[in-house]
Amino acid sequence: MLAALVQGPLLRIIPVGLILLAVQRTVFVDYKVAGVVIEIMMIASAAAGVAGGSERGALFGFVLGIMFDLAEGTPLGSTAIAMTVAGAVAGLLALIAADPQWWLGALFVALGTVAGVMTVPLVRVFIGEAHPFTTDLYVIVPVMAAAGALLSPIMIPLARWCLRVKTPEWKQPIAETPL
Amino acid sequence: MAIYSVGRRRVILALILTSALLLTLDLRGNPAVDRARDVMAVVIDPIDSAVGVVASPVERAWNGIVNYNDLEQENEALQEEVDRLIGTQVSGEAAVLQAQEILALNNLPALAGIPTELAQVVGGAANNIDQIIEINKGRRSGIEVGMPVVNQAGLIGKVTSVTETSARVMLVTDPRYAVGVTVTAGPDQAATGDETVTTSPSGLTPEQISDATSTTTTSTTVPVGDPSAPTATVAAGSELPTGPPTPDTTLPGATTESVPSFIDPVTGEPIPAEVLTALAAQAEADAAAAAAAAAEAAAAEAAAGVTTTTTEPVVVRKEYGSLEGRGARLLPQIRFVQDNPSLAELQVGDLVETAGGSESLAPPGIPVGRVANRADRPGSGGPLLDVELNADLTRLNFVRVVIYKPLSEVEQP
Repeated sequence: MLAALVQGPLLRIIPVGLILLAVQRTVFVDYKVAGVVIEIMMIASAAAGVAGGSERGALFGFVLGIMFDLAEGTPLGSTAIAMTVAGAVAGLLALIAADPQWWLGALFVALGTVAGVMTVPLVRVFIGEAHPFTTDLYVIVPVMAAAGALLSPIMIPLARWCLRVKTPEWKQPIAETPL
Repeated sequence: MAIYSVGRRRVILALILTSALLLTLDLRGNPAVDRARDVMAVVIDPIDSAVGVVASPVERAWNGIVNYNDLEQENEALQEEVDRLIGTQVSGEAAVLQAQEILALNNLPALAGIPTELAQVVGGAANNIDQIIEINKGRRSGIEVGMPVVNQAGLIGKVTSVTETSARVMLVTDPRYAVGVTVTAGPDQAATGDETVTTSPSGLTPEQISDATSTTTTSTTVPVGDPSAPTATVAAGSELPTGPPTPDTTLPGATTESVPSFIDPVTGEPIPAEVLTALAAQAEADAAAAAAAAAEAAAAEAAAGVTTTTTEPVVVRKEYGSLEGRGARLLPQIRFVQDNPSLAELQVGDLVETAGGSESLAPPGIPVGRVANRADRPGSGGPLLDVELNADLTRLNFVRVVIYKPLSEVEQP
């Protein structure tokens, strides 16, 4: 069991998650884009889905979400569900391409991030909050999607390292031009 | 290549169900979860500090590049504001002192006698849903869940969770926030009329007597010779002491001895009580001089034939309601108010203060803001009032936690 823990991804996810959490709480809280806090942990969860598939992405998102909920005082599990969804959705989208190009990866991260961001107020509805869907979402969603796409070149390799996923050696063959 | 399978779907489902289970445990209240939060706070605190140390040079460089011009302009504007405030500070402090004395004499509810705890804002909400800040004082400083938080401008929010050394404050703009408030007529509507009315029974034209009268807050016409009318008269050629502009009375922390309410804008230090006492004495001397001038003016009234009558502003409490936050981009709104034109009409500019009450988490009299918009609803719903907050929630640095418990929670001996 100990060996599984050491060899598994948790040993890397937790410290990286703590650093991402601290960065989100200190840097991104102060530097908002159009009034929107860039939720770097949500983006990392979506990137993990692209890097390691839906299962690992969901696990990555779950761990980061629990850490976020514990640190921020939000209902425990509410953000974890959202980040799990972000990782799972991005991972499912990544099934479309075997070896996605960088822009396709960025697109998947952006879409996974959007799924996660939209899930947060949805969960809040289920736990009885009065008005979680505010007009702010019209700004939050596009800004977060853009941030996810922009940060994906950093986040996907980071998630790949955390999940111990090796860069695929197999490359998609380039279509030969007819003579 | 990631391959979709039933096994993967089960893992995702298990994680979501686990989250739902934890959510249920947390919402029902679980000490283990509370302990886990405390542990997490202890773990994340040094990492936050370390990241802050690493990131601060980069942040400063970025601020230097991006915000330099804005800061320069803001600095100039603030310097002008400081100059203006220095001019109004003396009279403002004296007026507040007098108001405190009156409140104490009448046993009116206010913040008098309620201790406060100064705290610094050390963080904000790290997501886009909650409107929350974190302060650096917690249980050790006597802070408990539910206590109201204010700054010099007015109400900011309430404490929602506390650890040993920190606390989280839900801002007024959070959609989950609600507090009972009272709507009061603004100073421009507080008395019987908005315009100065000057009578000239001697038959002089307004132009002829324009130098003989001075504008007061409000006036009513009183016939000369009416002995029942308490009038203050001004002789021709004399001027009432106009004094500096009306002081800012939105000083929630300024009503208790335990609070260093008056901050010197130059040094940032609290003004000593001796100085304030001297200022109060000076204000009384000024009032005596004004009374003497008024008596002298009364003697000349007959000759000038001009009567200017002033009335003391009357505080008109219009309605009680519930103030609710609506997110960072929308103004908080007052609901559950009924417009009653026979008493007073709710309108833009009205003042909003906390209403207090035996079960309210906030004591009465904390200024909240002003009515910025009024929207009428059909039926018996009553109007909705948007409230422009006194406090600038985007620039919070130091705040005060009012160590207050509602009467219903105070243990009786």
